[in-house]
Parts: sequence; structure tokens; C-alpha cells
Amino acid sequence: MSFDPKSPERYSRQTRVPGIGKAGQERIGKSRVVVCGCGALGTVLANHLVRAGVGFVRIVDRDFVEISNLQRQVLFDESDVIGNMPKSVAAANKLRAVNSAITIEPVVADIDRTNILDLCSDVDLILDGTDNFEVRYLINDAAVKLGKPWVFGGAVGTEGQSMTIIPGETPCLRCVFEASPGPGEVGTCETAGVLGPAVAVVASYQAAEALKILAGKKDAINKELITFDMWINTNRRIKIARLLEKRNCPCCKQQNFEWLEGEHGTQTTSLCGRNAVQVSHRVKNKLDFEGLARQLGVSGSVSHNKFLLKFQLQEAGNDYEFTVFPDGRAIIKGTDDTDKARTLYAKYIGY
Amino acid sequence: MPVKIEIPSPLREHTGGLVDVPVTGSTVKAALEDLVRQYPAIGPKLFESGKVRPYINLFVNDEDIRYLDDMDTATADGTILAIIPAVAGG
Repeated sequence: MSFDPKSPERYSRQTRVPGIGKAGQERIGKSRVVVCGCGALGTVLANHLVRAGVGFVRIVDRDFVEISNLQRQVLFDESDVIGNMPKSVAAANKLRAVNSAITIEPVVADIDRTNILDLCSDVDLILDGTDNFEVRYLINDAAVKLGKPWVFGGAVGTEGQSMTIIPGETPCLRCVFEASPGPGEVGTCETAGVLGPAVAVVASYQAAEALKILAGKKDAINKELITFDMWINTNRRIKIARLLEKRNCPCCKQQNFEWLEGEHGTQTTSLCGRNAVQVSHRVKNKLDFEGLARQLGVSGSVSHNKFLLKFQLQEAGNDYEFTVFPDGRAIIKGTDDTDKARTLYAKYIGY
Repeated sequence: MPVKIEIPSPLREHTGGLVDVPVTGSTVKAALEDLVRQYPAIGPKLFESGKVRPYINLFVNDEDIRYLDDMDTATADGTILAIIPAVAGG
């Protein structure tokens, strides 16, 4: 049977959506998007975009597929775990089989202030598929600086949030959340768990916003904060649009790109010969060891005194030991890979 | 009908698992003070040096208090005061 991957029939159902139409679909086909992070949010986002016919999709992730990902990260399977596949490459392999008529570019990289402008400068839209606020504030700085739209999404437990940021037209992330939660201040998917459908709903909101933006239908964009809890059946649209005129935001009003300039965020140092990495993070207040110990207790063994907290866990057959200090600094034993250490810090300490 | 404060999941361990807590108070500030009176352990989680922590936002009937009267925003019987922190994961 002959098969034409570029057949117009491919997008016929999407083209019939009144807000999209033929012209909107053509715009979508010529669009370029970067998906920052390819975990639970990122796999759902990339899947929607590729199927919708976005012309160029760059997928960036620093991590490898693990068995605990399979519950919710919809593009991965057991062979990716066995093959120790980088997430962005595994996702691209699956999606190329879905749509060969578009370009998919996997990038195995840790998104930081040295590469984010390069990763985002040649695209029309930036999508948040990350799992931590360090990268989200960095994306916010980059998007505002480059004048490009981005769509935030977050999910933990059974709760989710999403908002769309059009620099100069809607409040940015810092207008709404003035500062990020510090290490250990809010739960992560590792410590508080996460319901697969909750992340999929957040990413689907984000993908719908992406299609509106790419189809050129700015009027349809959601300018408020969507927030829901699927377990207690709440779903609300919080009114934030007026914050744009009310707040003298350091990022979008004053153009101070503190995350891009390295005033915040983590620093890592491989501790030579010790198979350990030090992750330094500036926190204003001392960490709450009691609360952190409670959160970490579900994932491994924890003990603490007033000087330090020890946390031991096993992940994908590897043993790790965290020694966490009250100022947020941690020494992570069991790896000399700084990217891995940053990932472990973000997953368990929550930043 | 009192003011109802909606508690986000990371803070529910401090309200005995309650999703919402009825309080009294004619402003956001007074309503939160009553919440802390009932559940003292939630105080340090909500406030830092007397101010609401910067990653936590407060909404009165779905309106952000920062463009209303902030902590002096009026609350009446039936008002829903939602505490909404930034959701981190993904």
C-alpha cells in the first residue's frame, strides 16, 4: 500500500477545528518549538506537537530512562530502560515513527544559563517540560529577554498548574510567583508522588495553548492561572492577568535577568577521587531538617542532627548517600557526574 | 457561614488532613490569623519574617489579593480564601 506521510488527510480532523482551519494548520506546519525537559510533561507535550504537525520540534533533556518513569512518561518503554537510553533520543525515536514529515531534533543536555539562549533563539515557542523551578525561572528570563512566548506547567501528587506567558502581554512567572520554593520547601514527584493523569492533563493544557499560539490565535490564549487537584475534584481559573499592570516585576518590567546572569541557582563541583559531587545552593533561611526528613523518609533511610542530614537511597541499582547541610549545600556520594548530581538534588531535595 | 480557607496538599499535614478550614475574620490577615490560631504548625510554613512566603499566593474568590487590598482585602461570610503555592514537579 502506498503511504504519503505528507497527505493533507493526516491533519484533517485538526484542521476542521474552527479555531485552526487550513491557514492555522499551515502556520503550525511552519512553526519551530523547543520542549525543555522530556519527563512526564515533556513526553505528553512532544507527543501532541509531533502528531499535530509542528514543523520542527527540539526535545532537550539531561536524563536517561529509568523504570520508575514508565508509570507516566508516555513515550518510553521497557527497552529504553534496558538500553539505558537518553530520554530525548528515546522520545525522538518513537516520534519519528509517528510522523516522518516533520523534523525532530533530540538534544542530550542539561539546560543551564550557558546554553538556554542558543536552545531557544531559533524557535517560535518554548514549552516547559521540566520538573524544577531552577530551570523554569531560567526559561522565564530567556523567554522575556528573547520576547518569545512560553507555557509553564507543574504537577505534583494529584495537583497541577499551568499558565501561558506572552512577554509584555501577560504576567510572567515572576509576576505571579515572586520567588521559587527553596530546597525541601515543597514536595517533588519523588517525595510526594505523582498521578499520571494529573501530569497528562497539565501537559495537555500546555499543548492546547501551544497550538493556539502557533496557529496565530492569540485571542484564544488563556491569560489566567489554571490550577486543579484531581483527587478532591477542584478545578479553577485564578485571575492573574491584572498583575501585569500592578507589579513592578524585576524580570519583565525591570529587565533584570537574575537567573540568566547566574545570581541564583545551583553550582556543582565534582569532588576528585571521592565519587561524590558537591551541590551548592544559596538559601536565605536554614533548611527545615524535620520537614525534609519526613519527605525523604518515603524514598530511603534518613537521619539528622542539627548540623547535617544523611539520606541514603537506591535508584536503578545504584546506591547514593546525601549529606545535606542547613545552608542547602549537599554532598552526593555515588556519582562523579555533576549532571547526575544536579538531577538527584532536584528530584529529592526539590529544586 | 464563615470564611473558608482552602489548604493546598503540601500544608494539609498541618491541618490534620483537612482540605478546607472554616475561620472567622473580616480581612485576609485576620482570617489567616484565625487559621494559625487553630493550627499553629501551619504558621511557619505560610509566613517568613511576618510576610507570606514568596512562592505562596493568596486568592479571594479567585482574585489575586495583590491587585485588591493585599492582606487588608475584605473577607465576608462565604468568602473562599485559597492558598496556592507554586507546584514544582513535572
